Amino acid sequence: MALLVVSVTWQILSRYLLSEPSSWTEELARFLLVWIGILGASYAYKVKMHLGIDLLAQRLRGGKAFALDVFVNAVVAGFALAVMVVGGSKLVAMTWELNQVSPALGLPMAWVYTVVPLSGALITIYAAENCLHGWREYRDGNTHGRGSV
Amino acid sequence: MTMVELALVLTFVLLLTLGVPVAFCIGVATMLAMLVSIDPGPALTTIAQRMAGGINSFALLAIPLFILSGLLMGQGGIARRLINFAKCLVGMVPGGLAFVNVISCTLFGAISGSAVAATSAVGGFMVPAMDEEKYEREFSAAITATSATTGLLIPPSNILIVYAVASGGVSIAALFLGGYLPGMLVALCLMAVCALYAKRRNMPAGGTVPAAEVLRHTLAAAPSLFLIVLVIGGIIGGIFTATEAGAIAVLYALGLSVLAYREVAITELPGILLKATETTAIVMLLVGTSMAMSWLLAFQNVPVLVAEALLGFSDNPLMILLMINLVLLLVGSFMDMTPAVLIFTPIFLPVAVQLDMSPLHFGIMMVLNLSIGLCTPPVGSVLFVSCAIARTSIARIIKPLMPMYAAMFVALLLVTYVPFFSEALPRFFGLYE
Amino acid sequence: ACGVRDEVTVLHLAHTLDTGHTVHKAMVHLGEQLERYSGGTMRVALYPGGQLGNERELIELLQIGSLAMTKVSASPLEGFVPQMQVFNVPYVFRDQAHYQQVLDSAVGRELLDAPLPVRLKGLGYYDAGSRSFYTVKQPVNTPDDLAGLKIRVQESKTALRMVGALGGSATPIAWGELYTALQQGVVDGAENNPPSFFLSGHYEICKYYTLDEHTAVPDLLLIGTVAWNSLTSEQQQWLQRAVDDSVTFQRQLWAQDSAAALAAVEEAGVEIIRPDKALFRERVAAMQAGYRGTPVGDLIARIAQVGR
Ligand code: NA
Ligand code: NA
Repeated sequence: MALLVVSVTWQILSRYLLSEPSSWTEELARFLLVWIGILGASYAYKVKMHLGIDLLAQRLRGGKAFALDVFVNAVVAGFALAVMVVGGSKLVAMTWELNQVSPALGLPMAWVYTVVPLSGALITIYAAENCLHGWREYRDGNTHGRGSV
Repeated sequence: MTMVELALVLTFVLLLTLGVPVAFCIGVATMLAMLVSIDPGPALTTIAQRMAGGINSFALLAIPLFILSGLLMGQGGIARRLINFAKCLVGMVPGGLAFVNVISCTLFGAISGSAVAATSAVGGFMVPAMDEEKYEREFSAAITATSATTGLLIPPSNILIVYAVASGGVSIAALFLGGYLPGMLVALCLMAVCALYAKRRNMPAGGTVPAAEVLRHTLAAAPSLFLIVLVIGGIIGGIFTATEAGAIAVLYALGLSVLAYREVAITELPGILLKATETTAIVMLLVGTSMAMSWLLAFQNVPVLVAEALLGFSDNPLMILLMINLVLLLVGSFMDMTPAVLIFTPIFLPVAVQLDMSPLHFGIMMVLNLSIGLCTPPVGSVLFVSCAIARTSIARIIKPLMPMYAAMFVALLLVTYVPFFSEALPRFFGLYE
Repeated sequence: ACGVRDEVTVLHLAHTLDTGHTVHKAMVHLGEQLERYSGGTMRVALYPGGQLGNERELIELLQIGSLAMTKVSASPLEGFVPQMQVFNVPYVFRDQAHYQQVLDSAVGRELLDAPLPVRLKGLGYYDAGSRSFYTVKQPVNTPDDLAGLKIRVQESKTALRMVGALGGSATPIAWGELYTALQQGVVDGAENNPPSFFLSGHYEICKYYTLDEHTAVPDLLLIGTVAWNSLTSEQQQWLQRAVDDSVTFQRQLWAQDSAAALAAVEEAGVEIIRPDKALFRERVAAMQAGYRGTPVGDLIARIAQVGR
């Protein structure tokens, strides 16, 4: 993951250090950004860093807090499954089947889009994990607020 | 309003209140509205395509790079050096420490490009220092939060890059130059609030700093300040693009904090990179889902309808601009900056252009407007951070914030109605018209 | 989501040009004609200015089926349909009359159906004129003058080869960034048709326009097969008639705009150079020959036969 950031930096540096106007470095850097952004989003979800309002969650305790936690994770998982996994897979399948390639690198666009269903699957797993964790806490009577997701 | 927009707005607000992360609120609202308006199969695939397509942009590449350079500077002792430098400048006047806070936040926000980073880096030092001089804790936290937002206007600025993308190609270089004067204008208006506060409370002066000290602190801060010169000079001089400037900033910050100041160890770098990746991903998921939402809004012709409604409501350009500003202030208090810019630029920019406002001028106005929202509840990342650092609550910080909101609003009106502030510098450097 | 949706068939048509462009005006005309032919039961919803995506993304949306139609230049279509390369091969057309003849011939109609395997169908060609070089400092009178000049090209492998064959050094840059790139000296020149040269403001920087007319790359009006197959054969006929009308309409507008643009840039102090095209044509003979035996080579040969 960290390597990706480094390679973006390097790609852009090489662009002018070599003063060779090549278009493929730009394209590669953009594709890396798509991968970092969307795959990173699943990691950010795992460590609960996405921005949100947790005013309500902080006020709830016990069963209500657990119910809200399950609801929020279910909404996120619903989006990840429907749009990212289902929609993303269809996008990958379509660009693969129609053999669409990128203009500069000649890279199949399907490879670029693969990150969408991949990240969607991870987010779904993390959402399930969060619910399981929340349930254990609720069962053990450890009922502090959920904190920000 | 048709069923589609209604579904969109209601779902978004409901999910936001319940604590679903903003990016997913946008995504789910878009998904439901999209399912109502086109066939389910294409609807889901289209959102997936818009998410990836929205991020697949060369201009956006600058963002992870400036995030990384900002992180490096945050941990590299640069904030402390800038505060010392600011003390030399204004430490001697009554209420000097408050001025130091404003200037430090402006300088640090300017070079790091992040208001949250500026709030935590400067606030961490300045709030305890202001405590000792009997400033109210809430005032210190409020002034830190508000003045940190000036860094969003003073380049480098990720949000101006996002605007450049959303507006369909306003020059990033011109926007960067255009942000200087408005950013400083906000800082000046905030300093006016500090002056009033100091006068009413008879705040002490900090005493003059000996010349030798001034020289020492200036020299220590110079390499940090040089980054601004390097980034903007390189862009204006046509040596590199804004994206490449991001890479330069990373290298420079790396050299400064690892080699020169020696405050970041090599072993800390993987952690910083991971942190940068994480922040990038948060922004990019927002970009992706917002892009899908703005696609749907465009598909539903919302920009055209809003423009017609606004232009039909009043034929006075001054009134229409005021209304746009009020709507944006409302948006900004509920929504984070990046999605707000991405979603509302295609809606309001055509109206502004019809009123003979340049896309450059509009962009600066919009960013200034939304940066006020970063310091307002219920959703305000800068506000949250400054409250956390000062260990105070949102309820208590609101009172000292009021005159500062007013000051920022004055700056906003000036920037809205006087194109000079946004356009003079870009025009002077021949980057505009 | 509105009640009318069931009665009126709406075709969503998105493109990346601004509303002042002849192609946009032709699309407005298309919509009017379609409403007339269909007795008000069909309508076109227009989305100009790239608000729904760039050309490549719009093509994808056609394939996905969330958008009905779009306009693309034949160049970006190369990634989807290799035969489209033929338009970027320099001097495949003898002159403007030959170019129009080819588009209206069996070869032209065949090329419209070439994208069918990738779920796209061409409905018609909009004229995008002939592309010529413009340069900032050095006038280009012969191909030799191109030597060492960095010339911006579209993101197309054939376009890269074309400029290389003519002697320049090709640099792909996004159209939106070209103005500053020319200003800052990142490239020494570019190539495009007269209206684009004028509307982009590039004439403010580039003071030499060499009308060598190396390529004529038409714009294609595409419909996704998902949308096309959802229409009844009667609706398909109405649509095709409306498209044909708008194509005729656009060609007239284009001729006017092209002449007006040339006059305007000359007025603004641009030197218009009319070089000996034979010199340029000679340079690319080898590039044309290189396609022999490939599908593109066969197309070149058939195009040469049109009107003979
Ligand atoms: Na900044
Ligand atoms: Na807010």
